[in-house]
Amino acid sequence: MRGNGPWKMAAGAAAIALLAAGCSSGSSNDDQTVPNTISIGIAEPESLVPTNTTESNGSQVLSSLFYPLVNFDEKSTPYLVAAESITHDKANKVWTIKLRPGFTFSNGEPVTSDNYINAWNYGAYGPNGQLASFYFSKIEGYAAMQAVDPDGTGPKKAEPPKATKLTGLKKINDTTFQVTLTSGFAGWESLMGYDCFYPLPKAAFASEGVLTKDFGEAPIGNGPFKMKGKWQHDSQIQVEKVADFKGTVPKVDGITWKIYQDQGAEYADLVAGNVDVQTKIPIESLASASGDLGDRLQKSPSSSFSFVGFPIYEKEFANRDVRRALSMAINREDMTDQIFLGSETPAKSFVSPVVEGYKPNTCGENCEYNPIKAKQLYTAAGGPKDIKISYNVDGGHKAWVDAMCNQIKGSLGINCTGVGEPKFADLLKKVEKKESVGLIRLGWVMDYPLMEDYLGPLYTTDGSSNYYGYSNPAFDDLVRQGDDAPTTAQAEKLWGQAETILAQDMPVIPLRFGQNVFGHSEKVTNVNMDLFQKVDIYKIELAE
Amino acid sequence: MFRFIVRRLLQMVLTFFGATFLVYALMFAAQSDPIQALVGERPITDSQRAALTERYHLNDSFLQQYWYYVKGLLTGDLGTSLTGRRISDMLADAWPVTLRLSLMAIIFAATIAIVAGVVSGIRRGSIFDNATLFVTLIVLAMPIVVLAPLAQLIFGIKLGWFPPTAGRDATLYQLLLPAAVLASLVVATELRVTRASVAENMRADYVRTARAKALTRSRVIGVHVLRNSLIPVVTLIGVDIGGLMSGAIVTEKVFNIPGVGFNLFRGIRTEDGPLVVGFVSFLVIVFLVVNLLVDLLYAVLDPRIRYE
Amino acid sequence: MSDMNALAAETPAPPSPAGRKSRSLAADAWHDLRRSKIFWAALVIIVVVLLMAIWPSLFTSADPHDCVLSRRHRGASGGAIFGYDYQGCDVYAKTVYGARYSILVGVCSVLLAGVIGLTVGLAAGYFGGWLDALLSRFVDVMLGVPFLLGAIVLGKRLAAEPGNSNGVLAVTLTLGILGWTTGARVMRSSVIEAKNQDYVAAARMVGAGPARLIFRHVLPNAMAPFTVVLTILLGINIASEATLSFLGVGLKGDAVSWGISISEATGYVRVAPGPLIWPSVFLAATVLAFIMLGDAVRDAFDPKLR
Repeated sequence: MRGNGPWKMAAGAAAIALLAAGCSSGSSNDDQTVPNTISIGIAEPESLVPTNTTESNGSQVLSSLFYPLVNFDEKSTPYLVAAESITHDKANKVWTIKLRPGFTFSNGEPVTSDNYINAWNYGAYGPNGQLASFYFSKIEGYAAMQAVDPDGTGPKKAEPPKATKLTGLKKINDTTFQVTLTSGFAGWESLMGYDCFYPLPKAAFASEGVLTKDFGEAPIGNGPFKMKGKWQHDSQIQVEKVADFKGTVPKVDGITWKIYQDQGAEYADLVAGNVDVQTKIPIESLASASGDLGDRLQKSPSSSFSFVGFPIYEKEFANRDVRRALSMAINREDMTDQIFLGSETPAKSFVSPVVEGYKPNTCGENCEYNPIKAKQLYTAAGGPKDIKISYNVDGGHKAWVDAMCNQIKGSLGINCTGVGEPKFADLLKKVEKKESVGLIRLGWVMDYPLMEDYLGPLYTTDGSSNYYGYSNPAFDDLVRQGDDAPTTAQAEKLWGQAETILAQDMPVIPLRFGQNVFGHSEKVTNVNMDLFQKVDIYKIELAE
Repeated sequence: MFRFIVRRLLQMVLTFFGATFLVYALMFAAQSDPIQALVGERPITDSQRAALTERYHLNDSFLQQYWYYVKGLLTGDLGTSLTGRRISDMLADAWPVTLRLSLMAIIFAATIAIVAGVVSGIRRGSIFDNATLFVTLIVLAMPIVVLAPLAQLIFGIKLGWFPPTAGRDATLYQLLLPAAVLASLVVATELRVTRASVAENMRADYVRTARAKALTRSRVIGVHVLRNSLIPVVTLIGVDIGGLMSGAIVTEKVFNIPGVGFNLFRGIRTEDGPLVVGFVSFLVIVFLVVNLLVDLLYAVLDPRIRYE
Repeated sequence: MSDMNALAAETPAPPSPAGRKSRSLAADAWHDLRRSKIFWAALVIIVVVLLMAIWPSLFTSADPHDCVLSRRHRGASGGAIFGYDYQGCDVYAKTVYGARYSILVGVCSVLLAGVIGLTVGLAAGYFGGWLDALLSRFVDVMLGVPFLLGAIVLGKRLAAEPGNSNGVLAVTLTLGILGWTTGARVMRSSVIEAKNQDYVAAARMVGAGPARLIFRHVLPNAMAPFTVVLTILLGINIASEATLSFLGVGLKGDAVSWGISISEATGYVRVAPGPLIWPSVFLAATVLAFIMLGDAVRDAFDPKLR
């Protein structure tokens, strides 16, 4: 027994050595030395298939690999990019898109109408489960492509849908195709600027309507850059310039999208010069950021809108004056200055300032901090003595929810507590079951730059994100009329009228509009960010 | 001896399935709505929900889902994460860097804990003993969420001695700082346990006997005391190895290391059952192997302990 | 092994330490303790912290929930001797009021973990065989369960129980149930080591029963590392109570605790370290008191030091 001692020790040591050897296989690949390339920090994208990308990281990478039909100028008006012309009939129902000729995918395939039609059909087909699928819902034939589960979440499997193609898509010739919508929509041109409307090459499909398994690992696009190798998950994505690109040629030869798990780590790398652009400076670093970065710390408008919703179905919030009083009890300026250190701005309207048709301060006195009037209103309306604000703890909302509660306590003399739910889904579940959740923390980032993208989903009766159950037929009607209006100017007028109804009803308390607060290294210059939290890859260049 | 190891290996198989079953059950219990978790705060259409539910068998009963998992496992298929990536690829990406990081951390921690623990155990009440107690308390009271960014700021940015982040293909040099931070998580307990164990053994009769036999002080401590004091310490180190692999969430985040802790955290947050179970399966194997080695070490350290 | 037994038999069995001193051990210990400065220092800290937990208004007249944003990160003034935190709350008042939940959760969860860990470790280590195999493999499985996952599931489940209005019970149970494994393994190792000592063999030979062997001989000699693990666990649990809040399964409502205060202040440590340092100091002092108390009591009860 004792004789075995050293032997066992040796075995143990050998095992540890093996473990160590097994893991020292990682090799470092430093491609940072290629001249005229830059690195931009992102988080791990959810997907790089355009129709499955709904978050800004994937969207950012795709913007370098693909060339959109339209893009947006500073006033959020669309201008043509890959499209030569986009025309529509009087009712805004039938849209004809003519492509600029001579464009190819990075694998050499010419870009034709079929590439768009096949890509959109793939995205719209329900069983493909593409996250951006609902963008196609305005096109004729979308409903027939959706599977309906006969027994909800029960054991029965859904019947495959009747159609596999959108009937509203029609090829005219190789460079022209037609889109027919179910009803007129003046903003369709803006909508087509979104990622899911990119074309896909033939090489993307294994067979008709079936994407090759690994397309998302190294997508082939019609943009100024192409993939260099594959997507290295949780690490980086490298893209390099396409030779002889026909469109706008970027000023850098390659981009490394460096993937970060945490914004704090990214910020450390930014300060140390290991990454060139950080698109979102974390709030904890903001206080020291101006000292660390100087004029390399920048701000630009973003479309994000934060608010709290009232569960209208609860009796205690049914009285409009209770809702108004709570809104007046909040000092928005104090919150954005102290908690957000000026990285967000106070919101006093129901749509973001980045969309055309926005009017400042549509909320009027209801969003002005006025603790005296708030208390009068609240007492007169008999508001509840005890309120809750529910939020999801995984989104960093605790600080401002607590601050808001403290303001409400101070202004109204009532009790207020923040209630943290583990995830947004948990919060939604409670709301769906109509449990008592109090005020609900919510936010919205626009999909396309139209007022309708705020008014429709958030406040119409059947809006996809109207979790609080606000319903006003007059409002719904105005939004719908705006959708059908022949010009965007007329549409904005109708939508503006709809917004005044919101200001009277106060179904939500507008709190803050977001900004992109970003920074860059000394290596790069001309860094701009758009409304979709993306760096403009055409303008960015190396500093002299 | 041989029979003991064989028996332990057989136990390991059962334990492995027990652990995966438990974790699968926990994930199932924790799941409220994985599809909503997948898309974040965006609304999701009924048709998408139906498609994704079917793709990931989310409608099936718990036992059925576990059966799919075991069936896949037996054919060498660890399954697919809800993000669409193969779990085997994710494991291959995450494990190497985590292994290196946690082994480095445990070597740091064990070295410091044993050396400092032995010294303060021998000289109880000395300045050195009180100093280690003080440092222990600081590490205890200073959460890793403060310690890690602070170390990064001071040594990575201000002084520039180490790179501020490491990444997946990190070199040993890049891992030094994160490993040191990670070691602080476990060094306090290991040090105190070593100290208590050494102090205990210094009073034992055999030390008096050895001293009486006029053995040199270094031989008394090096051979007799240390060997007899190490059993609880080695046990603790064994537990910590696994703990550091799964629990390095904050350190991996701060130093941008996409390892096991980060993947587990992501999987739990997005209710990604297959991902969590896949990683935990490996973690359990590590625990089992390390604990077997620890048990064998007992017999080395104290020959009176034997297994049959 | 047989030669070792023979060796053990040859050397005269040392008299059982507890047996020789049993008549006056407690009295002797108390005599020693009374003269120990460390003991009194530890006791004073613990009493002060307990008073804070029971009767916080004795220490401050300020309300920890009286927070005004415009006071954010302001320095010390008047009664707020530690200044104000990021919400403009009085840090001193929050620290005093935070003692209650921190101590309650910390001490109770450690006691729970201690009882489970002691029982499992002792049973596995002393009896060995199939019981050891069963218990040890169960510990392995428990170690494999990620803390976050266990906390989410347990926390959600326990929070749904009636009578859990402030979340203290759920948090205590969660931390206790998830925290006993390390202690159990350390206990098992010490027991395995202790039961093979010569005096245990000797005691067995003179006919001591298992209960007497365990509680008189094995356990007292196996307690030291285990106690240390538990005192450190106290600090860890007080701090990680806040982790549960971050998962949404922690203390409910506007409960204040040191853990929550510390974790809230971490983001602003470069701007305002005060709100982080003060609750940390209180946490460290409490753990220190328990470490010192453990050491003093340990020394007082050790007959070998006489």
